[in-house]
Amino acid sequence: MFTKKGKPDLIIFTAVVMLLSIGLVMVLSASSSLGISGFRDPYHYFKRQSVFAVIGVAALFFFMKLDYKILKRFALPGLLLSFALLVLVLLIGDNISGSKRWINLGFFNLQPSEVAKLFMVNFLAVYISNKRERIRLFLTGLIPALCILAAKFGLIMLEPDFGTAMALSATSLIVLFAGGAHFGQMLGLGSLAIPALWYLIMNEEYRMRRFFAYINPWKDPTDTGWNIIQSLLAIGPGGLFGLGLGNSRQKFSYLPEHHTDFIFAILCEELGFIGGMVVLLLFFVIAWRGLRIAMNAPDLYGSLLAIGITSMISFQALLNIGVVTGMLPVTGITLPFISYGGSSLLMSLASVGILLNISRQSKN
Amino acid sequence: MAHLSRLTIQKRILILLFFAIFGSIILGARLIYLQIYQNNFYRAKAINQRSLAIPVDAKRGTIYDRNGIPLAVSVSANAVYAIPAQVKDKEETARLLAEILEIEYDFVLSRVSKRSAAEWIKKRVPSEVARKIIALDLPGIGVVENPERFYPYGSVAPQVLGIVGIDNQGLEGIELYYDDILRGTPGKTVFERDAAGREIPGGIQEYIPGEDGSDIVLTIDYYIQQIAQREVERAARETGSRLAVIIIMDPSTGEILANAIYPSFDLLNYQDYPLENRRNISVTDTYEPGSTFKAVTAAVALDTGVATLNTYFSDPGFINVSGWTIRCWLRGGHGSQSFVETLENSCNPFYAKLGMDIGGERFYEYLTRYNFGSKTGIDFPGEASGVVRHPSTGVPLVTWANIGFGQGLTVTPIQLLAAFGAIANEGIYSVPHYVKEIHLDGTVQGPNIPEPRPIMDPEIAKMTKDALRSVIANGSGKRAESPGYFVAGKTGTAQLVENGRYSHSKTVTSFAGFAPADDPKMAGILILWEPQGAFFGGIIAAPVFSRLVDQVMPYLGVKRVETGSRIDQANTVVIPDVLGLSPEEASKRLEQVGLKVHMIVGEGSRIEGLVPEAGVRVPRGTNVIIYTDVDYINTISDLPNPFGM
Repeated sequence: MFTKKGKPDLIIFTAVVMLLSIGLVMVLSASSSLGISGFRDPYHYFKRQSVFAVIGVAALFFFMKLDYKILKRFALPGLLLSFALLVLVLLIGDNISGSKRWINLGFFNLQPSEVAKLFMVNFLAVYISNKRERIRLFLTGLIPALCILAAKFGLIMLEPDFGTAMALSATSLIVLFAGGAHFGQMLGLGSLAIPALWYLIMNEEYRMRRFFAYINPWKDPTDTGWNIIQSLLAIGPGGLFGLGLGNSRQKFSYLPEHHTDFIFAILCEELGFIGGMVVLLLFFVIAWRGLRIAMNAPDLYGSLLAIGITSMISFQALLNIGVVTGMLPVTGITLPFISYGGSSLLMSLASVGILLNISRQSKN
Repeated sequence: MAHLSRLTIQKRILILLFFAIFGSIILGARLIYLQIYQNNFYRAKAINQRSLAIPVDAKRGTIYDRNGIPLAVSVSANAVYAIPAQVKDKEETARLLAEILEIEYDFVLSRVSKRSAAEWIKKRVPSEVARKIIALDLPGIGVVENPERFYPYGSVAPQVLGIVGIDNQGLEGIELYYDDILRGTPGKTVFERDAAGREIPGGIQEYIPGEDGSDIVLTIDYYIQQIAQREVERAARETGSRLAVIIIMDPSTGEILANAIYPSFDLLNYQDYPLENRRNISVTDTYEPGSTFKAVTAAVALDTGVATLNTYFSDPGFINVSGWTIRCWLRGGHGSQSFVETLENSCNPFYAKLGMDIGGERFYEYLTRYNFGSKTGIDFPGEASGVVRHPSTGVPLVTWANIGFGQGLTVTPIQLLAAFGAIANEGIYSVPHYVKEIHLDGTVQGPNIPEPRPIMDPEIAKMTKDALRSVIANGSGKRAESPGYFVAGKTGTAQLVENGRYSHSKTVTSFAGFAPADDPKMAGILILWEPQGAFFGGIIAAPVFSRLVDQVMPYLGVKRVETGSRIDQANTVVIPDVLGLSPEEASKRLEQVGLKVHMIVGEGSRIEGLVPEAGVRVPRGTNVIIYTDVDYINTISDLPNPFGM
């Protein structure tokens, strides 16, 4: 059940530890004034994040030891569980500013969509490794996988949580692509998805306004353009070395979500271009080492699982930084290991644990 | 098959790696662009967004009189301000401030509740009160040193100076007209604040000084102004006038030496006075000039050749103008008079005739040249232009007859004074003005007013000037004579329009003139609105002018000469009160004290009025006119109101 020998990929481990450390420091810096005003405690958010970091690191070590092949058994139950949670959140989830994304468990808020991502990756890895070349078949190969994806996507869109839905879809499609799905089929279906995506954006007023704010944020600087403008007003002044740790100005009620979705902007403001580039490089290291682990995985399942986890983390980082730097329209999505948020941190660290276990069983 | 699949996967993993590299490069480039290339742009924008500036007013320029006496200066005073976003308990803060500063609670509450960066609560706060405020240490409330207007010599010509508002801006008068020059550029204290307006801990804080305003030197002479203020108040009180104005000007330059208005107000506490006390009616208001305007008509008549100095006029006491009868103020008329005598006697029928003889077209042309009906261009805000009807077929002849003796048109006091100035100054019209010098950036500039220009032939001006001298020497303006100085001028009384008709009891009495007559150093105008009791300008306005000349001439360094018209104090009498007596009894009483009864006007049995009026001191042997019917002194009551009001 547990893997006895084999060295984990220490480079990816170091990168994750570094990101986690930077994240904790940044959460402390970004959230202290918020903590004072909300809870009379500057360490409120930092303490909670630290607890999840400890639990997360424990999960990382657990999954690093646990033979990943055992996870094959959880493909279907995991899928069913994630569906159940996604339905449940719509029924009993806390409605926070118009969306139901969290189930209140008392000590922490569970975000089912975060759970759903990992289970989706695991399911697809099992599905493709079972189908093998038959994944290239359209009706029996690609379509069933896409139907499950579409169902999850739909449920997450009902919350609604456009960002996570996009991250889930992108990760799933990457796994399908890597798993050898017929590229022509994917491209064909993809071209069909574009009008659907357009409809989703244009049908929801706030999403449409955000989309146009992305094209020209200065047109409506106090409303829809606010987030992106405030984000740029944090990143830009950071310069090469930043204003210094703790010296962010934009965190004083200018930049919303400055300890969660937009924490990268505060990081760039305080630590400058150097700090931003370090984080960017660490994520690249995860992508590079993760894909290397996938290359050298002992079996197809392990390979696909590694690709899924790597792309899940990398793509989400890419999306988040793209949004924060104003290159993509604003969607609520966290930066793995850095943003404040228990579910996200826990799932990311656990996923990296699985990745490390695969590395330990590498062929060479 | 499995082998092939494996290869495909490896190929596709490499493609994914390529995308990861590509994505990282794009994002890295974006960071370089935002943080390195656009660093300054965003830094400026971010600082601008977070900066909150509390303005610190610049020191307003000083306003000096022509001798360099500072009339309005800027002094540092404590000012209490609020930064509404930082005020925690609005009600409690407002309550405390209202109590300590002794101002309205509602006012303070509205100011601290505003959605603005900073608000003034009160300016000119005494330092012990300011210390109390500082000691309270209320969040969002502060005290800064802010320059304030102060008037070291009190309210000198307050209607001319004008007031300054709470935001350091000139609101009226010279303070408004020259606001750009006086105001300067405000400085500011800048500090960083969060999106809700609260101060950011450890944020930047700096003081950016402003630029002080420039100084202005007025043409007003402090000492002459004191004389004028004293005299205008005395004249208004003695005659029970509702409103009075005195303007004294240097006719050769148009510089206004004094401009006093009654009732007045205190510049520091202007809010305690009625709004209308702040009006500089010399410039902003118009009136019907009445007989003072005959000087203008005389000049036009002489210039057009309608009359010459040798013209004689036989006054039967009235004149018929297209169905209307214009009566002379003297019942029975003045009989045969020379041109100069008509002015001395202020004979209405003759000036009505002149008005008609000149004719609408020509009269209008001359009045326009003399700047009636349009603004003089004086350096003062809100100048009125007055009304002179444009000649057309719709304007009846009687209008021009009326204008001949100063009714049926409106002028500002300044316009009429400027015309008298031109008569005094060989026909050169100098635009009246209040500002002598503007000290701007080390240079000295003059006021922005039109150049002096000739408006009448020097010969005509001289003839008119001599005729006006005669009015004082021999005629209705005798009482304007001042010992040692030759005065020239003209009295006037016009009836006020009330409910669309000329009033029988409300008049505007005035005197316009200059001295010394041969080389005028001052031109002046005095107007009294609604004096009680006396009806003629010669009786009440002329003596005021005499007193002005008596005080101003020596100050200007004009030596007294032997005029031969010095009033011998020992040989004067006070006119006894004979009202209500029969004409016979009244005549007896007047002759007893050494006065002559010139004529009895009216057919009534009781005395209802006399000129000069009772209580006035006059030389022994003065001619007195007694009235048994007051209506006779309203010479134009039956005429239509030219404005149709």
